[in-house]
Amino acid sequence: MALRKFFTAFSVLSLMGIFWGMSASQIDSQKKFPFPVTHYQLKNGLEVILSEDYSLPLVSVSVTYNVGSMNESAGKTGLAYLMEHLMFQGSADVNPMQHLKYINRVGGRLNASTLEDRTIFHQTVPSNQLALVLWLESDRMKYLEINETKVEQAKNILLEDIQQRKANNPYFESFLIFDEILFPDSAYSRPLSGHEEDIQNLTVEDVKSFYSNFYLPNNAVLCIAGNFNKIKAKELVAKYFETIPKGKEATWNGEPPAPVKNPVVKTLENSLASSPAFHLGFRIASPSSNEFYTLTIIDYLLLRGQSSRLFKRLLSKEKIALQLNGGIEKRKDRAFYRVFVTCNKGLADLCQQAIFSELDKLKTTFISEEELSKSKNMLKQDYWTRVSTNQDKAIFLSEAFLNLKNFDDLPSELDKCLRVTPQDVVGIVNRYFTKENSIILNIKTR
Amino acid sequence: MKEPAAVLLIFFSLIPSLLAQERFRKSPPPPEPLLELRLPNVETVRLSNGLTLSVIFKENMPVIHLQLTILAGESSSPEKLPGMATFAALMLSRGTQNISSSKLEEKIESIGGVFSTSTAMDHSLWKFSFLDEYLDQALTILSDMILHPAFAEREIDAVKRTLHYDLLRNEKDPEFLAKRHLFKLLFKDHPYENFSFNSGVTKNFNQKELLAFFNKYYRPNYAHLVLVSSLNLKTATRKVSHYFNTWEKLEFENPPLLPPKPNEKERVCLIDMPQVKDCTIYLGNIIMPLANPDSFTFLVLNQVLAGTPYSRLFMNLRESKGYAYYAFSAAEFFKMCGVFMVSAKLTPDVSYLSVQEILKEMRLLAKEPISFFEIEQAKSYLIGNFPLQIEGLDNFSSRLAELKSLNMAEDYLRNYYKNIMFVNSDKVFEVAQKYPLLTPVIVLAGDKEVLLDHLSEFESVEVYDNKGTYQYAIHK
Repeated sequence: MALRKFFTAFSVLSLMGIFWGMSASQIDSQKKFPFPVTHYQLKNGLEVILSEDYSLPLVSVSVTYNVGSMNESAGKTGLAYLMEHLMFQGSADVNPMQHLKYINRVGGRLNASTLEDRTIFHQTVPSNQLALVLWLESDRMKYLEINETKVEQAKNILLEDIQQRKANNPYFESFLIFDEILFPDSAYSRPLSGHEEDIQNLTVEDVKSFYSNFYLPNNAVLCIAGNFNKIKAKELVAKYFETIPKGKEATWNGEPPAPVKNPVVKTLENSLASSPAFHLGFRIASPSSNEFYTLTIIDYLLLRGQSSRLFKRLLSKEKIALQLNGGIEKRKDRAFYRVFVTCNKGLADLCQQAIFSELDKLKTTFISEEELSKSKNMLKQDYWTRVSTNQDKAIFLSEAFLNLKNFDDLPSELDKCLRVTPQDVVGIVNRYFTKENSIILNIKTR
Repeated sequence: MKEPAAVLLIFFSLIPSLLAQERFRKSPPPPEPLLELRLPNVETVRLSNGLTLSVIFKENMPVIHLQLTILAGESSSPEKLPGMATFAALMLSRGTQNISSSKLEEKIESIGGVFSTSTAMDHSLWKFSFLDEYLDQALTILSDMILHPAFAEREIDAVKRTLHYDLLRNEKDPEFLAKRHLFKLLFKDHPYENFSFNSGVTKNFNQKELLAFFNKYYRPNYAHLVLVSSLNLKTATRKVSHYFNTWEKLEFENPPLLPPKPNEKERVCLIDMPQVKDCTIYLGNIIMPLANPDSFTFLVLNQVLAGTPYSRLFMNLRESKGYAYYAFSAAEFFKMCGVFMVSAKLTPDVSYLSVQEILKEMRLLAKEPISFFEIEQAKSYLIGNFPLQIEGLDNFSSRLAELKSLNMAEDYLRNYYKNIMFVNSDKVFEVAQKYPLLTPVIVLAGDKEVLLDHLSEFESVEVYDNKGTYQYAIHK
């Protein structure tokens, strides 16, 4: 997947991180969803979520497949992203590119994105066209037409896309290399866009096999959000999806994280970049752990907003960085924290010292209630923004369904972040944001 | 023996129903009847100092959206200071007499606030959303910005620098340059020309000029505040009055803005962008303002011509001829007029041919009535897409603020479906003949060393640099 998409996914997931797995027994207060939500499962295993909102005559439909670049095997990278393209190239009853045309003709909007562990297709149309979208989505879930011409075409698009990303972003490759340092020889570091030589060697059989293993009703979540009649919607879902046969359960064997004893510092020579840069990363707790709530708040303290600690220190006060971004990134059961900085020549060390100095302050001094409250308020604002449109809501609910062990826990997840204390922050920063646990990739310009 | 026979019998008896079951997959399902578009209720009141307040009530809103519009956009910038409206709008959040810029940022974020600014032709807009429990703090912040701006020299320099570098970055973008130049030529010697300012303007801004602009236009009688919250009109009015009652109105003589005249003769311009390998085209002309009822008909015309990847021009230039990467058309509306424009990106060798194809398609609109099917398809898109444009209460209130700046009422939104439904082929045909589509200003952006060789068929081509400065002209 290209870098632009990578960053979109990155911001979405860093927020979604807070809605990760807590078991039902750990829940102390069961809250209600702030909007209507119905969840059920079809006989073929397809999970269905319905959420009505009668404000406007619109409906959004998302189909999220529980598959991404992490499900590719070694030497077969690029398959997940390739599939995203092929899903628009025609199925049993829909001609190539007709999916786009049908949605466009009724004034609708659609998009798709591939992440490390998800592939999401979504469209918003006038409410009276709900059946049209369900027809289109079910047709490509039931029988996607895959042939050599289409695969070759998609491969070329993907290869061209990688070339463009490389040309437009001189730091593109450094992100891939940093992932490999974080997760050496592991599915966790499969590049979203795939390796060029792997893509060139992909065959029609590889693609067909990937499709039949993962693009299954029992590996997907269908979410409908907007203005619709629930009974009618259920009938339509049954009509279009129930006859799609269930497939073999897709399995994921999480690999144990490689033990970390010492900090890792590597250097990359980059002739394309005009400014030096570095990635600074920390392996952090699993998204399904209790510690993740505190890590989410720490993310806001460090990097969210113009008044966050690192923004103020590096950009406003000392003016030693040119660009600063990052945050929590998660890959299924693993997560890490990344800070990416570009700066003028000779200032990379100073920037790294400033970051560690800010972390040291968080390790030794309790943050004020005001600062903690600011981070929590920003998190709340982001939370509500995530459900402000039907499309946002459909994606939010599907993601939450796949991330949480118990979907009913979702309403109380925000509260858990809001309960984080200054003591929690000190504890977690001391545990994870240490030099010993850090990985640095310096990018030097020639 | 009986069992297999029974199974076979059941199997064969099921075949027709299985086939029937799958028959529905063969073609797209018909749509249900279109649902009625019900827009949120808007209540408007004018406060004693002239500030217009519109309140949109929505229960259980965890986030409040507040939008402040000042009815002074780039067309209000002084003639010698284009860009001043944009500059002034950006300066508003850079500290007050009571609080520094960085403390202000912190205060905004501490209430879960997100603040953004934009400046258009006829207005400047600030969007401020924050958690519902902090309305008083938000109004305190906003009123402090309006009533006690600091305009400190240090902040002036910082904003000038940011704006300058933003513009320099934009001036590397062929689309930005081509569109800016199109507007510059269409609005030549009209206050709307200010909108096309370049990176050189920032050096002219200073505190004195900024204060003069601010003191003149940032007045409650030229402002409109939209509040989307769970507050009713009475409570909202009381709150807003409390924080803004000392904002003093000022009446001043505002010379009436006249509508600009359309371009009357085809004019071809080239923006030289060395090393840029593609050619970007923007061509267009002046049309009616949004308040003119023809605007609905024009939206349908635009849709047929090049509103989507399935419209005529895209199908011709990209799918049939393979000339262009894309080809779209759009209409932008301002208080005094609208601008209709076609944009396309292509390889330089087909630039002349592409312009001819675009003009041919536009000529066809005025020559042959469009089929019923095409018209209905375009209307279906516009009606279906409209709720998407106003989805989310912040988007709805932005549209409301925009309409206010165009001197229009929210009825435009409420009657949108009805007005699009009324459009037919005859009306589109009439509008295609009425407005000057065939005498556009044509702007091409690309490397002149490559492009000029392919433009020799034009009667004349004016050449400009990336700041929009005239260099020379070549003739056939």
